[in-house]
Amino acid sequence: MTVHVVLSTGSSSEFTNGEKEFDIEARNVRGVIKVLDAKFPGFGEFLEAETMVAIDGELFEDGLYQPLRDGCELFFLPKLEAG
Amino acid sequence: MTTEPNGFKWVGSRPDRPDGIPKVTGTAQYAADFYLPGALYGKVLRSPHAHARIVSLDTSKAAALPGVKAVMTGADLPDHPFAYLGPDRMQVNFWHVTRNIIAREKTMYHGHAVAAVAATSDAIARQAIALIEVEYEVLPHVIDVDDAMAEGAPLLFDDMITRGVEPAPTTPSNVAKRVGFEIGNVDDGFAAADHVIEESYKTAAIHQGYIEPQACQALWQQHKSEIWTCTQGHFAVRNLTAKLCGISVGDIKVTASEIGGGFGGKTVVYLEPLALTLSRLSGSPVRMKMSREECFQATGPTSGSSMTVKIGFNNDGKIIAAQSILAYQAGAFPGSPVMNGCMCSFAPYDIEHQRTVGYDVVSNRPKAAAYRAPGSPISAFAVESTFDIAAKQLGMDPLLFRKMNAATPGTQMVYGPKLAHGGYVETIDALLEHPAYKIPLGPNQGRGVASGYWFNGAGDSAATIAVNPDGSVTVATGSPDIGGSRASMAMMAAETLGIDFNLIKANVADTEAVPFNHVTGGSRVTYATGMAVIQGCNKVIDDMRGRAATIWDVEVEGVIWEDGHAKPASSNVGEFEPLSFAEIAAKFAVTGGPIGATGALNASGQAPGFSTQFCDVEVDPDTGRVEILRYIAAQDCGRAIHPSYVEGQIQGGVVQGIGWALNEEYVYDDKGCLSNGGFLDYRVPVTSDVPMIEAVLVEVPNPNHPFGVKGVGEVGICPPMAAIANAVANATGRRMPDLPISPPKLLAAMDDKTRSTVEL
Repeated sequence: MTVHVVLSTGSSSEFTNGEKEFDIEARNVRGVIKVLDAKFPGFGEFLEAETMVAIDGELFEDGLYQPLRDGCELFFLPKLEAG
Repeated sequence: MTTEPNGFKWVGSRPDRPDGIPKVTGTAQYAADFYLPGALYGKVLRSPHAHARIVSLDTSKAAALPGVKAVMTGADLPDHPFAYLGPDRMQVNFWHVTRNIIAREKTMYHGHAVAAVAATSDAIARQAIALIEVEYEVLPHVIDVDDAMAEGAPLLFDDMITRGVEPAPTTPSNVAKRVGFEIGNVDDGFAAADHVIEESYKTAAIHQGYIEPQACQALWQQHKSEIWTCTQGHFAVRNLTAKLCGISVGDIKVTASEIGGGFGGKTVVYLEPLALTLSRLSGSPVRMKMSREECFQATGPTSGSSMTVKIGFNNDGKIIAAQSILAYQAGAFPGSPVMNGCMCSFAPYDIEHQRTVGYDVVSNRPKAAAYRAPGSPISAFAVESTFDIAAKQLGMDPLLFRKMNAATPGTQMVYGPKLAHGGYVETIDALLEHPAYKIPLGPNQGRGVASGYWFNGAGDSAATIAVNPDGSVTVATGSPDIGGSRASMAMMAAETLGIDFNLIKANVADTEAVPFNHVTGGSRVTYATGMAVIQGCNKVIDDMRGRAATIWDVEVEGVIWEDGHAKPASSNVGEFEPLSFAEIAAKFAVTGGPIGATGALNASGQAPGFSTQFCDVEVDPDTGRVEILRYIAAQDCGRAIHPSYVEGQIQGGVVQGIGWALNEEYVYDDKGCLSNGGFLDYRVPVTSDVPMIEAVLVEVPNPNHPFGVKGVGEVGICPPMAAIANAVANATGRRMPDLPISPPKLLAAMDDKTRSTVEL
């Protein structure tokens, strides 16, 4: 299935040369990260350690194995500071 | 126990709070109450200068004083490489952190730790501090955020090149980082709008104002050190102290005390690495506690700011485009919550074109720390003030103006995803329907409205559920209770297990007794730790079903759990009297041994919080004093587990917002030294300053939580500053863009004949 992946500001530029949006074939978030890591070596480790994901707006801090539906939107966001 | 209107037995009820009696009878153990035999008194020497190079530091006379058992400086802690680690919004650079704990090359703010001693009495420790000889080369300093960004400003770091700017600047500055988000085409949006407003604002840095100052006791022992401390996260204390002291995480056990307030300010360490080092050097336990003045001088306030907000909107009230430019003080080391400010600026609103830019700026002030919805209340003040001007310009009711532009599920957020949860419109409707919103006002009185947004957190939590032989239950989590979590954990456990709340005792366990828990902050604990408790309870239920099946000699699939009892799933299973939770607990030894389970997860699916508030004020035209006549705060809380605690969170956030709006600020002299480091001169609201704040609980349950929970601890502090400023503008005809709106400033604005008669 194809998912639309968007990198938020702050998580993309140093790894992807400014490229921010991708259409990726993957069944779960782990699959998306594998594809991005293959394209931009080292990016996968960054995404796993430093971001949370939003799948169609729902936030997942343990998003690695979250299943994806065809056509869904997936955003990688900076993690949250506690107050 | 009767069933609550929401269909639950315990969720939504108001049992007596379990921490009440210990607190009112004085038996609650706060950090300064811990005392080990032979404990030494630790004391810190602090910088008298805002910015100074340490030319020489001689501790020999202090060390020679009888009764002094240890003296330390920055050289007694390992240094760290210069590297930013971790996610954008919570990056840590341990080169900075270790220098904030205790200065090395330079002191960066008035009150910055320079050295520390441990002695057999407090008096000797003070004497020893006075004997430490420091030669300073005083350097130029800068306090204000605009001054720090100005050309030619004194630099805190000679090599700081602004990150996030491409191409990278070629010269250093005090701007540590630039962040930004954008959707749509903002410039086209402004060009197409019927009206465009642009206003600038400033807010003062303010302290969290927790009643209990930082305090701890540390005992260094090879591979088994211990720390007792007041903190919002004892696992964070363990990890940070281990890193800063250069020892293994597994070699430190941390116990969290009862806590006298935190509000974000106790998510980091100040004294713990010093106390542990002094204990290592002396061989004795060391107790340290800050005075109130030290809290103000050296612990993190939230950022002061300088902001510009621009919005474009049409005659019908629809906002077309919006832009916020935010500069936040980080204090002496990088790391303000400006990215949160950017992300939250327009989050409650559906605006097609948005741009938000943030600058993280260092100046000679204590390093900023988290404070209730870090970053969001600051930008909300600027945005919600500007929206008020727009509504007035159109002659629209400010609530209806916000409702017309409100974000709903599916709204595109500036930081990427679409909003997944509602709740904002419902808070507006709650105020529109509130009878007090229609009460007429008198002379010198005004009504103000504002809204706020906070993400709410989730993340790593764990809990252990231990069943006792008499059917009582101990729930242990690693989440310090700063807002009623012991009550809410016990209530969710009672609801899940189907037993009496009073049979459950919830505790905050030390770092060796439960798996890792992230800090109590980000409005995450009732949600995330609650899910860990529920998970653990469900494991207990599964275990008890299995034990009932063993007793009845049937398959476990033939046993259901209902209302605190194991029951046959159907008559086909057999005719058995239900076994109660207590009956199964009593048979633990013959059915497989002790009954207990751990719930552990990285919780997800949290929903954001929205708050809309209005207040009525009266301004004394002779003194400029603002009296809050009435305050109503509507907040989406998902589902309130214990409504009294939720109301308390909302009221607490509003009171802190009132202080932020009207009185609180750091006053520095011309040498950059703090002049008002105490509650006599730094004025937080007291009971007589505020009316009864009415909390309106709006419940739009979060479907991702078994009981519908949303975080409630933070968003309540986002609207008050703008609500009060908007009310003051309506009462006086004066728009006050700089916080605090203290009596002298307001009086000067009202007396200023050069300003127009009535400002929007």
